[in-house]
Amino acid sequence: MTEFRDDDAGSEALRSLAERQRARLRGPQPGFEDRVMARMREARAPKRAPLLWIMSPSAVRVRPVWIPLAAAALLVVWLAGSRYGARSGSGAAPAAAAVAAVPGARSDTVYVRFEFVAPGVQDVRLAGDFTGWRPDKVALERQAGNVWVATVPLAVGEHRYQFVVDGKWLPDPRAQAVDDEFGGHNSVIVIGPNGQVRS
Amino acid sequence: MSDGEAVRRVLAGEVECLRVLVQRYTQEFGRLAEALVGDADAAEDALQEAFISAYERLGSCRDPDRFGGWFYRIVANKCLDAKRRKKLLPLEDTEVASRETADGPVREAEVDQLFQGALAELTPEQREAFVMREVDGRSYEEMAVLMDTGVDALKMRVHRARDALKKRLRDVL
Repeated sequence: MTEFRDDDAGSEALRSLAERQRARLRGPQPGFEDRVMARMREARAPKRAPLLWIMSPSAVRVRPVWIPLAAAALLVVWLAGSRYGARSGSGAAPAAAAVAAVPGARSDTVYVRFEFVAPGVQDVRLAGDFTGWRPDKVALERQAGNVWVATVPLAVGEHRYQFVVDGKWLPDPRAQAVDDEFGGHNSVIVIGPNGQVRS
Repeated sequence: MSDGEAVRRVLAGEVECLRVLVQRYTQEFGRLAEALVGDADAAEDALQEAFISAYERLGSCRDPDRFGGWFYRIVANKCLDAKRRKKLLPLEDTEVASRETADGPVREAEVDQLFQGALAELTPEQREAFVMREVDGRSYEEMAVLMDTGVDALKMRVHRARDALKKRLRDVL
C-alpha cells in the first residue's frame, strides 16, 4: 500500500488547523430534521423506474404454505395459456378443444376436462362412446372468452367422441380424427393407466 | 430499520420512513457538509437540498442497501454548488491582509480565514479528500466506499492537497 510521509513541521501545523476547524463545526441546527421532513411532504413523490425495479435485488418474503399453491396456479395458467395460444389462429369458427386429466377417485378412472372455443353459439354438448353417443348426457358450461367446459370421468383406454354445437356434430379440432363410418370424423382420446391423456 | 428497508418503504408510499434516513444521514454528513462548504448556514441549505433531491430521485437508487454511498454523491455535489455560489474572499486579498499584520501577532481567526481561502483554491477532488480525512477524521477505507475511489488514489489526493496547502500557507505555518 502506498505511504505518503507528511511528518514535517508544516504538516503538523496544517493538522492543527484542520483540527481547529473540526472543533468549530456545529452541524445542522435543532429542528433541521423537521424542516427537511416538511419539505419532503411537499416534494414530488418518487417514482420507481420500472426497469430498475425489475433489475434491482429485492428481498421477497413468502409464507411457505403459498409455494405449492402458487406452483399449482402457475401450472393452471400455463395450461390455459398454451391452449389459447394453440387456438389463436382459428378465427371466429369453433376454434379448438382441449382435454386435460384431473385426478379421479378411482385408479381406473380419470376425470378429463374438455374445452371447446365457440364464439356466438348457444349450446355445446359432448357425445361419445362413454355417453352411448347420446348428446343429452354432458352439457358444457360457458366460461369467459367463449370457452365451453365440461369435466367427465373416463375409464382407462381409448374413447371416441364429438362435440354437438347448436345441434351440429363437430370433431375436436385439436384431437386425432378417425372416420365415423357416416361420412364424418370422430375424435380420439386415449387415457393411459397412469392417467396420461393423449388426444 | 436498515437503509434498504427504509428506501423500499418510502418507494411504497410510506413517506414518514424518510425520517429514519434524514436522522441517520444528518448525523453522518452534517458536519462534513459544513466543512466542505466552509459555512454552516450554506451547508445546512445544501444538505436540505440534497435530501429533497434524493427523495425525488429515490426511484433511481439502484441498490437501496447502499443508499449511503449514493446519497453522499448528491451531498457532495450540492456542497460543491454551494461552495461555488458562496463568495469567498479571494486568497490574494487575504495574503495581503496577512502581510499587513506581519509585524504583530497573526490572530487565530485570520489564520483560519487564510486556511479557508487555501482550501477553496484546491481542486474539488483534493478539497473533498483532504476535508474528509483531516477535518472530518474519516479513515481511508470509509472514504473509499463513499467516494467510490481506491485507497491509494485517495492517499495521493490528500498528499497533494497537503503540499498545495503548505505552499499557499507557508507564511503562517
